[in-house]
Amino acid sequence: MAQQPLPTSAQPTDIYGGDEVSALVLDPGYCNTRAGFAGEDVPKSILPSFYGHVTSDPPRDLFGDECIIPRSDFEVRNYMNKDSVVEDWDVAAKMWEFMLVKRLQPERQTPPSKNKLNDDVKEQDGEGDVAMEEVETMEKALEEFPLLMTEAPWNSPKAREKAIELSMESWGTPAFWLSRTPVLSSFAAGKATALVIDVGGANTSVTAIHDGMVLKRSIQRSPAGGLWLSSQIRNMWETSEPKVDLVPTFMVENKSPVDALAPAQARLREFPYKIHDSFRAFEEERLLTEFKESVVEVWRGPGRYGAAGNEEYIKSQPGRVFEMPDGYNQMWREQRFKVAEGMWDENAGYPVPESERLTKAQTIPELIRSALNAIDVDLRGNLLANVVVTGSTSLINGFNDRLNNELTAMYPGLKIKIHAAGLSSERRFGAWIGGSILASLGTFHQMWISKKEYEENGVGIVEKRCK
Amino acid sequence: MASGGKWREEQVLVICPGSRTTMAQLGCGELSPPHHRIPTRMFRDEEDSNLWRPYYTYKRVTTIDGVENEEWVEDVDEDKGAVWPIEGGRIVQMDAFLAFLDHVHGLLTTTYHNTPIMLMASPQWTRPDCETIARYIFEKTKTPALCLIHSGIATQYGLKWPNMTVVDIGYEKVDVTAIHDGRVINHMDLGRPQPGRHISGGEVFTQKLQQLLTDKNFSHDMAEQLKKSGICEVLPYAPSQKNLVVLPVDTPDAARSAAAPSKAGGEPGAADSTTADGPAADVPRIEEPSRTDDVVMEDNEGTDTNIDDDGVLDVATIVTSGQTKEFLAKKEKEKEKGRPGRKPKADKEAEAAAAARPVRQPNSKKMRNTFSYEEIIMEEVSKAVPVSVVELEPTAMQGVESSSAAEGVPAVAAPDVAADAKPPAPEAAAPATGTDNEPVIKSEVKSEETNVNGDGNDATLATIPDSKPAEAINGSNGNDTTKADDATAADSNEPPELRPRKIRREIEVGLERFLFADRDEIDRIVTTIYRTIQGVEDMYMRPACWDNLVFVGNGSRLRGLKDNILQTLHARHIISPSTATMFTSELPSNVATPAGTGAQTPVGSFAGAPHQLSTSSVNPLLQAATTASTFGVPVPGRDSNSIQVASGSTPAVGSEAAGPASGHHFHSQTPTSIKTIALPTYLSEWSKNGFEEAMFLGAQVASRIAFCLHSNMDAQAIEAQKSMSLSRVDYNEHGPKGIRTHSMLS
Repeated sequence: MAQQPLPTSAQPTDIYGGDEVSALVLDPGYCNTRAGFAGEDVPKSILPSFYGHVTSDPPRDLFGDECIIPRSDFEVRNYMNKDSVVEDWDVAAKMWEFMLVKRLQPERQTPPSKNKLNDDVKEQDGEGDVAMEEVETMEKALEEFPLLMTEAPWNSPKAREKAIELSMESWGTPAFWLSRTPVLSSFAAGKATALVIDVGGANTSVTAIHDGMVLKRSIQRSPAGGLWLSSQIRNMWETSEPKVDLVPTFMVENKSPVDALAPAQARLREFPYKIHDSFRAFEEERLLTEFKESVVEVWRGPGRYGAAGNEEYIKSQPGRVFEMPDGYNQMWREQRFKVAEGMWDENAGYPVPESERLTKAQTIPELIRSALNAIDVDLRGNLLANVVVTGSTSLINGFNDRLNNELTAMYPGLKIKIHAAGLSSERRFGAWIGGSILASLGTFHQMWISKKEYEENGVGIVEKRCK
Repeated sequence: MASGGKWREEQVLVICPGSRTTMAQLGCGELSPPHHRIPTRMFRDEEDSNLWRPYYTYKRVTTIDGVENEEWVEDVDEDKGAVWPIEGGRIVQMDAFLAFLDHVHGLLTTTYHNTPIMLMASPQWTRPDCETIARYIFEKTKTPALCLIHSGIATQYGLKWPNMTVVDIGYEKVDVTAIHDGRVINHMDLGRPQPGRHISGGEVFTQKLQQLLTDKNFSHDMAEQLKKSGICEVLPYAPSQKNLVVLPVDTPDAARSAAAPSKAGGEPGAADSTTADGPAADVPRIEEPSRTDDVVMEDNEGTDTNIDDDGVLDVATIVTSGQTKEFLAKKEKEKEKGRPGRKPKADKEAEAAAAARPVRQPNSKKMRNTFSYEEIIMEEVSKAVPVSVVELEPTAMQGVESSSAAEGVPAVAAPDVAADAKPPAPEAAAPATGTDNEPVIKSEVKSEETNVNGDGNDATLATIPDSKPAEAINGSNGNDTTKADDATAADSNEPPELRPRKIRREIEVGLERFLFADRDEIDRIVTTIYRTIQGVEDMYMRPACWDNLVFVGNGSRLRGLKDNILQTLHARHIISPSTATMFTSELPSNVATPAGTGAQTPVGSFAGAPHQLSTSSVNPLLQAATTASTFGVPVPGRDSNSIQVASGSTPAVGSEAAGPASGHHFHSQTPTSIKTIALPTYLSEWSKNGFEEAMFLGAQVASRIAFCLHSNMDAQAIEAQKSMSLSRVDYNEHGPKGIRTHSMLS
């Protein structure tokens, strides 16, 4: 082998220079959890944060979309709560390990010293320590991979400590870092200072970032996200005339085309067991997502949807047809704007139970206003010139135009520039991509919490360092 | 070394590993089906567990002249104790896999330094896996360059459509990969090893079959052979039936017909006017698919038929494309032409059917049917063959084997040919029309008489190595009820004790041969396809993925499976044009931007990455076909594509007009149509082989592009080519992680 020999698996673990780092990035959210290698442009492994739980004996958890199919004794649960904070740490650990280890790492087998690759290099390794080594590799699945995790800006100190503990103790990561999602989203947009509007699944948040730091007082959030929009759509279907039945795709065996507004003619599937409500709800959400993708639109302006004449104008415009999985189909005109209007105008939209109602302060324009009011006046101009829009619910047609109109109306005279990634994936995985960028920078190793620091200081270090 | 593309086509080693069988070949010049199919397995060395052996090896003691000699014997067919390094696409035993790569390499070539390697990677391979492989190859061998290619991309290179959804039904896994413009945009898989593994793919059906036939003492191998035989099929999806399938009913007629074929079988006279369903019921029928009208299968000859089949939607596009008149005229002509052409045949068929009704019933209508099961038994014969020399087709075990037979002793292949040729009309005709999807069962010889004939014929053909054993077998056939297989004729005549013999017996199977088509499994595959395509983030890409489905993987060879999946997709998911838009001028949201009918509106500006490169030195035929197919692609998303990019990246102030104007983005519901792609017709060997192994073809095409293109390249193309594979120079510079950027993994 005349070619220059490369270091074998025994790479020095203490020196990571520049892009030698092979860090992992983990971005848990309410709807999806994303994991992948730093430096790549999309996460390799994207799983719903919902997981299957088999209730029959022995109870077990199943992860991944392919497992979430109709089964007996089967529930769908989520390890995150609607604040996008981890709720069930036991499952979180399992789920993350499934993604980071099972999906991204090769099958654990014979340790490197035995896999023949190194036979000629260091044959002197005794046979004695093999067993021990195996135990060790089992325990420390991520020994070679620094880990960057994301968190919601309002994550609790307890949860943060738990995260570093899990990473260091269970997986043996050599280094760890915790970063807030808006900071990463602004990195993904190539900005260190930005006003980040993240319209996600369970939450919408507005956060001001200055020089890569979260301005804590600016953090605003409300439930005006994808789930809220889903409840609006459900309500719209419920009150629509005729009432639209929400039959999720998995229920339909086959369907025949029917006329618009005519009752569906579909053969439904029969299951010899009871389908749990949680499973059905999960499947309904898929359908609602499809409806959001292809029908729902944000009224772009001028003015609000409720302004005089707007509704009449829309009614005169062609609508969009949506076909339900059971074949029922209908044209949606003004309704498809009305469902999304509640995010902007607390008085618009469809009536919902009082508990789900958005207050004026929870609408997107008000969130922005309060965020900006909470920070130094001098910063506002700069922030408004760097508005970063991210989150998959922001992909709804017309969202950016409306946002632009609202901001212009609220802050006349200030320069407003909205940055929203054109690729859907960049919008959906904004925080992950930012993490991928951050963790592949040469400077990442100056910033992370190394194993040594963790061992010296304990879990409390995360609160001190990851500000 | 500085630039790639300095190798000749015959130097490239192409390896496509699968969980069961690995396809491999040295040279990518002919674009032929794989020369070698090697079971993907290794055996731990009994003495040193760190070492791997390619074959089952055991110790044997022989006594020669009273002296006991110990010797190690390799049995190339034995599976006992094998380690299968790939499971459900995932590498579970890396060291075994690397040893296996070494073995394959050693089998096919002796030199390393000028043999670049094209290695197909399953989507389940992790990044560290790929790096380990790269390191092994560059550090342990002198391989000058390595290209790892994603199996979905490989399929795409084989079939040459820019947008595709590749459904790869394998042994224990199913991969669904959506590809748009040569880029993997979504992927889902089934059967991944994980806690509580739930396998998917061909093996599920075999197991189900075995389970249904446990009463009849079916072994796994019997079930596997039954599955591959022509009588086992997935019946069409019947939307209104209780069990979603129309099973044959038990009528006296059916019973008679079931009994009939074995009698009627050998008589050439009765046979010749029949369709493939006729006497040898095992011969798979050719025109099996598309029994329901709305499913467009690849065997419909051209776009015209597609238009016909697609109904309303395409009428709309025809009208919008302004070709109505021509179209109608053409249709009319076709009808006229079609009628006289088809009618006589139908009449003849009807007559023939009337003449011999019991025989004529297709497999799907029969209550019971028979297949012949072949097994290899070890038999003590005075004059036998040492096991290690037996190059018997390991057919029974490892899947489809048609061309590997040819690779061995020529005589091994000869019997097939002979038998094919012998019984005149039906059987010889069947393979010619591309029936040998299941080469294993082709050329069944039914009656005793013909069998002897066939064998006699072999013997003459097989004389090249040695004719005596063949005759001996013929002799033994007379008194034996079972029939020895022709292949044994090829054995040589050295004289030890045990001798493998192929035994063939007829086994009758009832409705199990339809019932095994597990609805749950089909539903899983259907759901995965649906979710994969609907999960593509950019909506405008979805229609193109729906319109270009392709099924590959040898699991998809199961008769009727593809059709059933397609029929289910159609019945369950297709979005019909809505009547709600009848009176509006605008197109409904669920109708895609009017797609050109293809032929009339060439998309001249196509510039998909792979094809850009491929235009210079690939076989001109191939190239012509490629460009032609490119023109034919209806790419509804294409228009919105450019707009999407333009308006998406900079949502400048006021860029979108006030008012609810749609059309800036593609927001339509999908799928409004579901189609399979047209398979290339210019590679006759592949048409015969079946495109289930298209990934191997694609790997060869990609090899040419990555390793063998020299001239007519601009700087950009050279750069692109460089990033397709990892050369040793690049490896020395970047190390194993160079494979991340220098490969075709996404």
